[in-house]
Amino acid sequence: MYIIGENIHIISEKVKAALAERDAGFFQKLAVAQVEAGAQALDLNLGPRKKDWEEVFPWMVKTVEEAVDVPLSLDSTNLQGIEAGLQAITKAQPIINSVSAEDERLEAVPLVAKKYNAKLVALTMGKSGIPVSADERVNIAIEKLIPRMLEIDFPVSDLIIDPLVLTVSGCQEYAPELIEAVRTLQVVWDPPPAISVGLSNVSNAVPTKNRSLINRVYCAMLMGSGLQMMIADPFDEAQKEVIRVIEERDDSTPVGKLYLSISDRVAAMEEPSVDDVDMSDPEQVKIWKTVQILLNQVIYAESYLQQ
Amino acid sequence: MPIDIPMDNWPGSVKTVTLGATSDQGGTRSSTVTIGGDQSLPFMHFEKPTANRPVIAMEIAPARPAEWSPVLLETWSEVVDDPGAWANACEEAGADLIVLQFGLKGAGDEPIAADLATSAVKTVLGATGLPLVVLGPGQAEIDNAILVPIADETKGERLVLGLCEDGNYRTIVASAMANDHLVLGRTPMDVNLAKQLNILMTDMGLPLDRIVMDPTTGALGYGIEYGYSVMERLRLAALQGDAMTQLPMMVNPGFETWKTKESKVGEGVPEAWGEWTERGVNWETLTAVSLIEAGANVVVLRHPDSLKRVRAAIDDLMAFETV
Repeated sequence: MYIIGENIHIISEKVKAALAERDAGFFQKLAVAQVEAGAQALDLNLGPRKKDWEEVFPWMVKTVEEAVDVPLSLDSTNLQGIEAGLQAITKAQPIINSVSAEDERLEAVPLVAKKYNAKLVALTMGKSGIPVSADERVNIAIEKLIPRMLEIDFPVSDLIIDPLVLTVSGCQEYAPELIEAVRTLQVVWDPPPAISVGLSNVSNAVPTKNRSLINRVYCAMLMGSGLQMMIADPFDEAQKEVIRVIEERDDSTPVGKLYLSISDRVAAMEEPSVDDVDMSDPEQVKIWKTVQILLNQVIYAESYLQQ
Repeated sequence: MPIDIPMDNWPGSVKTVTLGATSDQGGTRSSTVTIGGDQSLPFMHFEKPTANRPVIAMEIAPARPAEWSPVLLETWSEVVDDPGAWANACEEAGADLIVLQFGLKGAGDEPIAADLATSAVKTVLGATGLPLVVLGPGQAEIDNAILVPIADETKGERLVLGLCEDGNYRTIVASAMANDHLVLGRTPMDVNLAKQLNILMTDMGLPLDRIVMDPTTGALGYGIEYGYSVMERLRLAALQGDAMTQLPMMVNPGFETWKTKESKVGEGVPEAWGEWTERGVNWETLTAVSLIEAGANVVVLRHPDSLKRVRAAIDDLMAFETV
């Protein structure tokens, strides 16, 4: 699993404060810590920075590149800011995060990616929003995103399609569809584009104590449908353990065996099965309840584990 | 050519909830009302018979509700000044249940005092034999101040007490548990929040068959489709076996429609809108019947003509049961 570290994100109060003070040490420490924790690239989500983009984007790139060598993902809707950041890159091939299938964005952003030899994250989202069904999301990739890349001779191998994870708290019907979208996107083109998602979005607006569980169960399901790249929290040890168990096919613990079976069932296009769960083990029961909400079979509620 | 009608066979069902208690059962009601028990989507008679038909509650207030449409006040005439007489008039009009709704203010600008609220409840209980729902204005302090003594003083009646909401349910649930009452939980048009509140209330030890839920809805033309979807989704989840959604639903088309311009305003509106009273009654009736189709077990109405029309619609919808 290729993890793009998510922790430099403007929604975090600490990040916001450190950015206001241009605290280079804060960002360098956070960058190093993420890479040491296993992140193979770093997402830099700075927001639009409408007033100071010209200075902030290059500053952030320079600051982080002084500390780490990994690819940086410039995550913003401000294309001028992204371009300013790209000009400052001196190390690994950067990533632009992101373009959507809206005409204006799709016109402009890929040209910038091509000019700077950046990889490009493309969202399966059109002007009427994010479709629920997997097929419609895949269609956006086939009918809009990939054709635009071909049109400007942008290598599909540098394209990263993001079929969009939405929160189980409020957009529950999207959760099972995303799993199928990830599966199908792998066969839409030869060579296939990379596929990445923002995993932690699945637990937005979920109480903090349940977020990690929901993230890692969803991660196991998505690995079953073939996910190999994601923007995620590299500090989440439990999540990394699930990734390890599935990648190494380690069924030596009962919980590990369950995660592996969930992933295998999804891979075989089956639904995860209650037959694989030891209901006398509270940890496995929690995992099973989480599978059920992620499959949209049981309605999510904050206290869903207490039910 | 014979046609096979595709049928769903649902693993789950809605809980059966009985409102009110007769003297044998520890209360004073002349009859009780049982709702819920649904084993299929509404009126899918060919799948499962409807366990209990939807019921109609009429809303009354402890004193003349100044903010009500003049159409309603004129229709009910002088009974609106006396909750006992009003409840009685509702019973005569054919109501199954009475909803006594307290407002934010009593006679003056202050909230109604707890003892006056309690005596209003007793007046209504004395005037009618129908089961009773007693609702505070939905403001924690006032709700708790009036509902606790009401629950104590009417022990055993199996009243439905509300509003239980996300931020205020503990006191009301505890009072209901101690005095053999039921509760109404209300959440703002959101399946996740509706389920969460049910989990929280049952966590306190209140059995599921003593909870009615109000998922909230909008009037026709004012968001009814959102309310409809939420109710439909809750009902589907219940039938699929999700225990914390398996509660009967009570919604308020009366309140929702009589605050819309179409119902509330008689002058300065296009002539094409037609006669005022007829328009208001239509609005209330159509909203209520739509919500019954979405799975409402109780609709709370305000106009007696709407009561008659909704009753006729329910009779029609139930007619297949006897064919």
